[in-house]
Amino acid sequence: MPRDLTPSTIENTFVLKALTERIRLDSRSFNQLRDLDISFSSTEYGVVDVKLGRTRVIARISAEITQPYADRPYDGLFIIATEISPMAAPTFEAGRKSEDELVISRIVEKSIRRSGALDTESLCIISGEKCWAVRADVHFLDHDGGLMDAACIAVSAGLLHFRRPDITIEGVGSRREVIVHPITERVPVPLAVLHVPVCVTFSFFDVRRASSAISGRTRNDEAKDVDDDDVEEEDDSSVAVLVDATLQEELLRHGYMSVTANTNREICQIQKGGDMPVDVGVLLSCSEAAIMVAEKVTKLINKRLKEDGARRNVGNLLVEARAENDR
Amino acid sequence: MASRLEIFSPEGLRIDGRRWNEVRHFRCAINTHPVSSDGSAIIEQGNTKVICNVIGPVEPTLRSRVVPDRVSISVKVVIAPFSTIDRRKRSQNDSRMQEMCSSIQHVFEDAVIAHLFPRSQIDVNLYVVAQDGGVMQACINATTLALIDAGVPMYDYVCACTAGMLDREVLLDLNRIEESDMPFLTMATIGSKRKVALLQLEMKVQFDRLEPMMAASMSGCHHIRDLMDNEVRKHGKSRLERGSL
Repeated sequence: MPRDLTPSTIENTFVLKALTERIRLDSRSFNQLRDLDISFSSTEYGVVDVKLGRTRVIARISAEITQPYADRPYDGLFIIATEISPMAAPTFEAGRKSEDELVISRIVEKSIRRSGALDTESLCIISGEKCWAVRADVHFLDHDGGLMDAACIAVSAGLLHFRRPDITIEGVGSRREVIVHPITERVPVPLAVLHVPVCVTFSFFDVRRASSAISGRTRNDEAKDVDDDDVEEEDDSSVAVLVDATLQEELLRHGYMSVTANTNREICQIQKGGDMPVDVGVLLSCSEAAIMVAEKVTKLINKRLKEDGARRNVGNLLVEARAENDR
Repeated sequence: MASRLEIFSPEGLRIDGRRWNEVRHFRCAINTHPVSSDGSAIIEQGNTKVICNVIGPVEPTLRSRVVPDRVSISVKVVIAPFSTIDRRKRSQNDSRMQEMCSSIQHVFEDAVIAHLFPRSQIDVNLYVVAQDGGVMQACINATTLALIDAGVPMYDYVCACTAGMLDREVLLDLNRIEESDMPFLTMATIGSKRKVALLQLEMKVQFDRLEPMMAASMSGCHHIRDLMDNEVRKHGKSRLERGSL
């Protein structure tokens, strides 16, 4: 079994000491995202390559026609597959789900599927008989922290970029037939994406714990400190809140919270694991910050989509050939 | 008979007759299984009922569970097949369940004074006997009580409570019907301060509505803390009188 990555004590104290002086090792400010790069495949619809600093994730959206579930005849299927292979980092094992992987897949699932980013009812073709099954495969290529943020951006952007083949239904009653028009024949149709969820992870560092570790006191003193301090009123300055942590920061952090937000000022999901207790006020301001990040990221996704659209639409042919145009 | 259930009536009453800021009937008991475990507790929140057994701190059964500087806590949740109206067997490997176990585990790894028991383990076994909404919160509350009963030193009580948002109304401590009808969050606080150990929100909600929800669930947590504290003190007193400490 591969061992977890464990940072050395020297690394630990160094990073924490830097944080008490409000310095991050990659010289970002606390609330600054790493460079985000989103690129779309030039040949295929729905293939997105997201680079968040040195983290790299590829998402591929595909669709096929299947039978809907018996209990939901009007709903199409939407599956997100987030299996992390050892390609991302040696800590991940193929075939065995680690706890990190579980958390990542659950958060992506809640952020995108449960928040209703894709309107599954629009995937219905013939109720109870045929529907589209949209599948998002997320491949984690490089892990430098923030896998769930990158995965969430990749799937959101992929859903916006993806085009499914156009279909027509012929015949009536039980002899209905679905004709699928290949994308070379008819302009493919975009999916009904209702909102663009963007996941942002905040890492919490207990600066006070850090400073006592640096001054070389034993854990017992430290524990006593915590007891004493619980009596007096807490101030927010004892918590350092970092946006978009690198792998090193992720391994050293004392707690985290990931918030999924969209540009409608909605919070789709919050997951604060049980680590390090944090004041409510901090959590609220994090949620607000998540909305700002979501706006920024959504803007970038739209910009890239536009650029990609312009590249594909040589000679304005796609606009001319649209089905909804006046004839 | 009304065709649709009225979650919140215009008179301000909920489906089970509560006001918006009332928690369900809360009953708890500690040291319920003194023979089988080191610490045990039963929690009833409305119709949700959870039994918790704590074994430990003991020597780790597996070498892989030895942590050199702190105690390792493992949480197992068993959901009884008869806990809901439709009887069915639930698998342990459901990703929802695994997530719940790991969340509870992380909550208590930071709530227990872990460095006092290096190289040892604590096993927390939770049995959900009946579920009517708020399973997660009941599990966390039960674990707190059982750990107290086991004599494991903790910084403070960890208490959890849910709060939902129906249109513009905040509702505290939801039952199953309410849970399925509105976005809600589960919050676990440590102590009687504003410290949040765990926060989970699974459905889409407007940002402006978040703050009232969090405020309500926090007051619910503090209320539950008082209720649990009463029970622990009552139990301690009765044991002191019997002289069986």
